[in-house]
Amino acid sequence: MPIDRRLLLYINWPLFGLAVILFLIGVLNLYSASGTRLEEGMNMAPFYHRQLLWGLMGLFGMVVFMFFDYRHLKTLAWPLFWTTVVLLVAVFFAGKTIYGARRWLDLGFMNFQPSELAKIAILIVGARILSREREPLNFIRLAYVFGVGLVLAGLIIKQPDLGSGLSILMILGGMILFRGVTARVFKTCLVAIPCLLPLSWFFLHDYQKQRIMTFLDPTTDPLGAGYHIIQSEIAIGSGGFWGKGFLEGTQSQLRFLPERHTDFAVAVFGEEWGFVGTMILLTLFCVFLYQMVVIARDARGLFGSYLAAGVFFYFFWQILINTGMVLGLMPVVGIPLPFISYGGSATLVNFCLVGLVLNVSMRRFLFKQA
Amino acid sequence: MSDLYNESEQQAPRSGLILLQALILGLFCLFAIRLWYLQIHRSEEYQAKALENQLRQESIPSPRGLIRDRNGDLLAVNEPAYALGIIREDCPDVDRLVHQIAAWTGKDYFELKTLYNKNRKRVKPFEPLIIVPDLTFAQLALVETNKLRWPGLEIQFRPRRLYRYGTLLAHVLGYVAEADEEDMARRPDLALGDYVGKQGIELMLEDRMRGSKGLAQYQVDVNGRRLKERVLRHPQAGHEISLSIDLGLQKLCMDWLAEEAGGVAVMDADTGQLWALATAPSYDSNDFSSGLSSKQWAKLRDNPLHPMQNRVIQSVYPPGSIFKHVVAGAGLHYGMIAPNETVFCPGFVKLGRRIFRCWRRGGHGKVDMNRALVESCDVYFYKLGKKLTVDRMSEFAKAVGFGEKTGIRLPHEKAGNIPTREWKLKRFGESWQGGDNLNMAIGQGFTLVTPLQVVRFFAGIANGGRLLKPLLLKDEKTVVQADIPLRPDQIELLRQALVDTVETPHGTCRRIRTKGVVVGGKTGTAQVVRLTDELKELKDDQIPYRFRDHAWMAAIAEKDGHRFAIACLVEHGLHGGSGAGPIVKAVIDYLFEGKVTPNPEERKAKARAVRALSLKHKEKRRAD
Repeated sequence: MPIDRRLLLYINWPLFGLAVILFLIGVLNLYSASGTRLEEGMNMAPFYHRQLLWGLMGLFGMVVFMFFDYRHLKTLAWPLFWTTVVLLVAVFFAGKTIYGARRWLDLGFMNFQPSELAKIAILIVGARILSREREPLNFIRLAYVFGVGLVLAGLIIKQPDLGSGLSILMILGGMILFRGVTARVFKTCLVAIPCLLPLSWFFLHDYQKQRIMTFLDPTTDPLGAGYHIIQSEIAIGSGGFWGKGFLEGTQSQLRFLPERHTDFAVAVFGEEWGFVGTMILLTLFCVFLYQMVVIARDARGLFGSYLAAGVFFYFFWQILINTGMVLGLMPVVGIPLPFISYGGSATLVNFCLVGLVLNVSMRRFLFKQA
Repeated sequence: MSDLYNESEQQAPRSGLILLQALILGLFCLFAIRLWYLQIHRSEEYQAKALENQLRQESIPSPRGLIRDRNGDLLAVNEPAYALGIIREDCPDVDRLVHQIAAWTGKDYFELKTLYNKNRKRVKPFEPLIIVPDLTFAQLALVETNKLRWPGLEIQFRPRRLYRYGTLLAHVLGYVAEADEEDMARRPDLALGDYVGKQGIELMLEDRMRGSKGLAQYQVDVNGRRLKERVLRHPQAGHEISLSIDLGLQKLCMDWLAEEAGGVAVMDADTGQLWALATAPSYDSNDFSSGLSSKQWAKLRDNPLHPMQNRVIQSVYPPGSIFKHVVAGAGLHYGMIAPNETVFCPGFVKLGRRIFRCWRRGGHGKVDMNRALVESCDVYFYKLGKKLTVDRMSEFAKAVGFGEKTGIRLPHEKAGNIPTREWKLKRFGESWQGGDNLNMAIGQGFTLVTPLQVVRFFAGIANGGRLLKPLLLKDEKTVVQADIPLRPDQIELLRQALVDTVETPHGTCRRIRTKGVVVGGKTGTAQVVRLTDELKELKDDQIPYRFRDHAWMAAIAEKDGHRFAIACLVEHGLHGGSGAGPIVKAVIDYLFEGKVTPNPEERKAKARAVRALSLKHKEKRRAD
């Protein structure tokens, strides 16, 4: 297909730019978190080097995801869904066990995690199902849509990978809310969910309960998870209004702050750039999210809208949970902050999903004029 | 294809779009408020905490268990010591600090720096890397006054092993030293700079004596200075240990060995407990716990007298005439000779064209077993050995514990050697000769024993036939390892021969006679010249000295139901009677009369002179 010049014209350039800017901020922050003030032999230089490489691959992936017509995904939705299910089942039989969990398929050249594929599958299948719904969802439709997500989530939780399983449900849940539910369903859920939530306590592993208890009172575990919370709060709080300056954060530079290149990366940022810097970062993220709302609004066709909404929630939950955790508003769970935390495949997926949404944006007027 | 494009031109749900925008707004407000709260409202408080409130953990070393002798006298204790370390995360300029430490302690900068580089990667973050393990008080005072100006400098208090009688018991107690890579791989709770037992009892009972470390948590400011400390887990001291060794007796033995190379083992014949295990020359265990310099180590290693060698358990010697009791036992056990059967000794025996002489040129005349043992007649045993052959002699020798380790709780014990036909074929590619039987029968030739095996065997004769495991701990239960395969009357025969050797006018052990004590003994002379390839490596520096025979004496002593066995070996001590006898006599006097007979100065001077003069002439082998 020859590339139409109008396609480039309609790309949502602010979103494109924000993804790149956020990523660069992330690399800069990673450079600082790598501890340049430490002695040789102890620094983590390879982290930001590798992150840069992954970013380049991400940019390439983003472009790839922009230049096919996203509407083809609609026909691919169910095949993709069933492929994912088959792969998830295959994990139980042929999966590779790492750290006590069977999550990986060995492809020979790399380890592949089908739960990552499931996150993309739920976006596409969710968008397809929901875009066909003419009315707000009643109980029956809700059960059907949610059931589709449960198939994937259940298989993933069984691996066990509670975090990924729940994030599938949360992405789908967000998309359902975007579609809207009937008033009855809404009211019922509003009452039922807070009532049922305490029950889930009994299904949690001990270490998960421990984390929640630690969150409620960090001093019970001052050297474990509580230590993370305490040190993270100190790092951010001590940043003050202007911050301590790039590479000047004592908490992170002196390695009091654990996991400072992954889950707690934003604490490094908060310490060094202060209230001003962190607010700018927060604003950037909000504008980033807002661009997806714009794309969802302007998309030609509901499938595109739901795709954009799905990607919105994919990022929204991560930002909410990770930042909430770093700011001491939520229990410690291992969820990275998009573009800021170190992580190769996550960066790649993030860029690709941005590419997908850009794809939706650039094809919004195509058919009026065709 | 049309399916792709026939979608209704419906707009995204309005409520959904509003929801997404509301979520963004909510997210923004929630985090903005929290950020304001943390970074503005409570910023000062957190800044103060960032400077002060840093939690770190540190393990508290556990004191090792004390070691006492059988009477409760302390042998090994712990004393406070101060080590100097670097916490590299707190240290802005390690190089300068190392220079400063070198200046304070007078150590070589490059040596310290090498040590630092070597160990740097093995220390956990925020843990001190010890580079000077032992500060003197003067140095401590100097460092303490300057400490605050050097962030990253850490003075660590830890207990250090002190051996109150450094050289007296070095071979029994062993020593402790800093754990090396291997130790740490074997025991995960060990960290760099921890002390572990490396030799002797310290090594063998490491797990019992080490105790378990405690854990402290403390706060540091941004420069690593300590603020508050809290103990999370108290250290548990290691178990205390009481040795079976009698400090006084050990001292006496060491004093008597003084200038000579040799070993003494004193065993309670009824329990197997060792009351003394002396070996000379010795080294000082304390040298190791404060870190041995390479110079000191080289000096120990290159000393021709091998002070690190435990001569009682790690050195092997031909037993000489004391082996005659083993051969006599074999003769009785296999019924090859009756006790009263006599043999005529003309002073020599012919075997083929070779002549085997008795130590008494004129011969002993007619001798029975008792006289043969008491007067140490070689001809009697040549003839008995010929009858027994190597097969029976070695089988019996093994049955009474020779040629195998005794299982004492000390590392690196040697098994010695009891030859067999197959052994000789394999070792030398030669078949066993008739003459070898004769040599073996008088304790020469290929037979090699440790003094510990000797004392165990003679304790067996003293206690009626039980071979006991040599014990070093006071609370250890007696272990009967084997029974001497002889009837009680046969054992009594051997025992009586020992006593007669002391008591009768012709006996060779008359000098250890002690009033009121039943004493038995047997001297031995271990010829070294013909075994040069076995012993060459031990004594190559001192050629004249090394030609001299080793002096043996094995003894038993009994009074009021207390029975002891004593084995004494003096390297190149010439005659069992004069070389080893006085030591055994002093031991018996101490055991039964509490008398401490000091080693006369002449004896020490003579021993010194012997080595110094390096007598060149070969001593003729003289059986006593």
